[in-house]
Amino acid sequence: MKNSLRVLMMLLVSAALLLSACAGGSSSEGSDDSGDGTKKLTFMFRGGTEEEKAYQKAIDAFEEQNPGVEVEMIVTAADQYATKLKAAITGNQVPDVFYIAPGELRSYAHSNILLDLTEYVESNDKINLDNIWQYGVDSYRFDGETQGQGSIYAMPKDVGPFSLGYNKTMFEEAGLELPDKDEPMTWDEFIEVNQVLTKDTDGDGEIDQYGTGFNINWVLQSFVWSNGGRFIDDTQTKVTVDTPEFAEALQWFADHQLKYEITPSIEDAQTLDTYQRWMQGQLAFFPVAPWDLATFDTELDFEYDVIPYPAGQTGESATWVGTLGIAVAQSTSHPDLATELVYYLTASEEGQQALVDARIQIPNLKDMAADWAADDSSMPANKEEYLQIVEDYGRALPANNTYNAEWYDYFFTNVQPVLDGDKTAAEYVKEVQPKMQEYLDNAIELENQSK
Amino acid sequence: MATKLAATDKPRKSKLYKKESRAAMLFILSPLVGYLIFVLYPFFFSIYASFTNWNGLGTMNFVGLSNYTKLLTDDYFMKSLFNTFFMMLGIPIGLLLSLLLAMGLNRKIPGTTAFRVIYYIPVVSSLAAISVLWQWAYNGDYGLVNQFLDLIGIDGPNWLQNKDTVKPALIIMTVWKGLGYSMLLYLAALQSVPKMYYESADLDGANKFKKFIHITWPMVKPVTFFLVITNIINGAQMFTEINIMTPTGGPEFSSATVVFYIWRKAFDNLQMGYASAMSVVLGAIIFIVTLIQFKLNDRSSFEID
Repeated sequence: MKNSLRVLMMLLVSAALLLSACAGGSSSEGSDDSGDGTKKLTFMFRGGTEEEKAYQKAIDAFEEQNPGVEVEMIVTAADQYATKLKAAITGNQVPDVFYIAPGELRSYAHSNILLDLTEYVESNDKINLDNIWQYGVDSYRFDGETQGQGSIYAMPKDVGPFSLGYNKTMFEEAGLELPDKDEPMTWDEFIEVNQVLTKDTDGDGEIDQYGTGFNINWVLQSFVWSNGGRFIDDTQTKVTVDTPEFAEALQWFADHQLKYEITPSIEDAQTLDTYQRWMQGQLAFFPVAPWDLATFDTELDFEYDVIPYPAGQTGESATWVGTLGIAVAQSTSHPDLATELVYYLTASEEGQQALVDARIQIPNLKDMAADWAADDSSMPANKEEYLQIVEDYGRALPANNTYNAEWYDYFFTNVQPVLDGDKTAAEYVKEVQPKMQEYLDNAIELENQSK
Repeated sequence: MATKLAATDKPRKSKLYKKESRAAMLFILSPLVGYLIFVLYPFFFSIYASFTNWNGLGTMNFVGLSNYTKLLTDDYFMKSLFNTFFMMLGIPIGLLLSLLLAMGLNRKIPGTTAFRVIYYIPVVSSLAAISVLWQWAYNGDYGLVNQFLDLIGIDGPNWLQNKDTVKPALIIMTVWKGLGYSMLLYLAALQSVPKMYYESADLDGANKFKKFIHITWPMVKPVTFFLVITNIINGAQMFTEINIMTPTGGPEFSSATVVFYIWRKAFDNLQMGYASAMSVVLGAIIFIVTLIQFKLNDRSSFEID
């Protein structure tokens, strides 16, 4: 009896020792080199099979140029990426190279997870920063206080201009003049043409063709900005949704459904349906981003093109540019190789060509992008609009430069009553601003604690 | 377990005994180590983390009870607690339905095996797959649910986008998913009820309802107890369905459960310490609720030998 107890105790102690050994970990893990001299890099990212295939090509080229280097790709589903990456970080198993969103940059940089790439990027002859979208690189610059300046902590995987598409075939069938590709419509003009196009085409008494059906999460920004409103001020410390311009834009968005009736049934903005409807040719206008192009090539049996979003009070069109970055871990055993891999994936011609051929993004390299835009063998014809968005008028999503996105999420989580017409936009923005400000203040405080 | 082995063979300790007991220890070691690494260590670690401002990436600074005091004024936490317990309304509904089903399938009628299989399919299916399936079924325009309602002349809501219908929609789904499992356990319990009870009840002239109340229900009570406990524990940790079907927590956070909120705080919003505090509170709530149930069960249980 006593003996077995003692053995049990021993087991417990040894298990505990084992455990602490695990928890301690060694920082070189994750890039362990095998005995035969091959150097191993891990690259963690999220995305679909298209991306994986395109990356495989770029990585094959990289491995060819760097004999004795092996790259292991770790792909996760989009919604699991953050969880898995954080688990890897907590377990001291940070992948050598990984995706990072601009909204995560601050926290990762403060926690010394990211390798400062500035020196490498600037000293590498193959990288010409003037030939890469400035917005893309600036999204990953951080000087400890302000994002957009200072050291480069990641290179853009892509820039994703969120443009507006229209169903060209539908316009032609209705005998309407096509929207101008440079001059944005006014809001009134936009509503007018939508109302014309919202109709019953087969005469069964039910409307089966609509003007549009935007998702508030992704399109409201455009309306707000072009109307002179802002989500947050330049210092990134004050929530500014409670302005008349902002309220007007939100109300206009809600009125698409409530007042002008140019969208499918109520409460529909957040379902997949409007995307499906656009694909089936039931909608006149719908956002078209570069990552949609591969799907639209094969799924759409109508012609489409892209145009600027309709412009509010300011008379200027506005929209956002998404981006994801690729960063290197400070803990990597092969910083030179890892940064070289980042170059291959983000700024090399081979790598970019593979991604562009897959039709999931626009080229990061400006000269390549110019060729891409000039190619009129595939839709949309006005690819130039994408480049204009990236270079001229596209903006970062509001929560990209804050420590976390809780303040921003709060707005969209609770906006449904406005869309349902149970609350006016003016009431809502007044009501929601203090709460959003509270979340933002909390984020700022958390950031200060993490420095 | 170890003590039991030792106790039975106490008088003489042969070499074989020692050898075997060593082997036994090794067998015990693996689950023990697993328990230590994957249960006990994270358990104590999260308690520790709940007193820090850890963001999940960097250093952990001790902040005392401030995470816990913040919880008291966190509207979203209260809302997610409410949502979580609201969705437990599905538990009694599910148990009642599965008991009725089990009683139905316990009779000698043809086709019972087929039905048992049909009701058990959702149990063995992946929860993620089921969530995606139901997400489509609940779609406002093309969903099966609304198409069916349309047949009987009801214009169904957009289930998952409406703050009043999203919780009932999720309840219906979880009831459907859990039905087969509860049914199977009830079926086993029903079949182990000695026939003589019913026979003697028949002799005394008891009607069906009386037989149910006084024989069936008490006899399956241990199963009911087990199901209530496990369902509440599982229900309190509901996450996958929410994450897949309403990735933003539903309109006005109306479908967010506590675990969903914990996950968001921990992995999206850099508040691992705060999230740990929430997990500790949730763990305590589950513990207390289970304890109360055990006490209640003790009071009303009886044994027949």
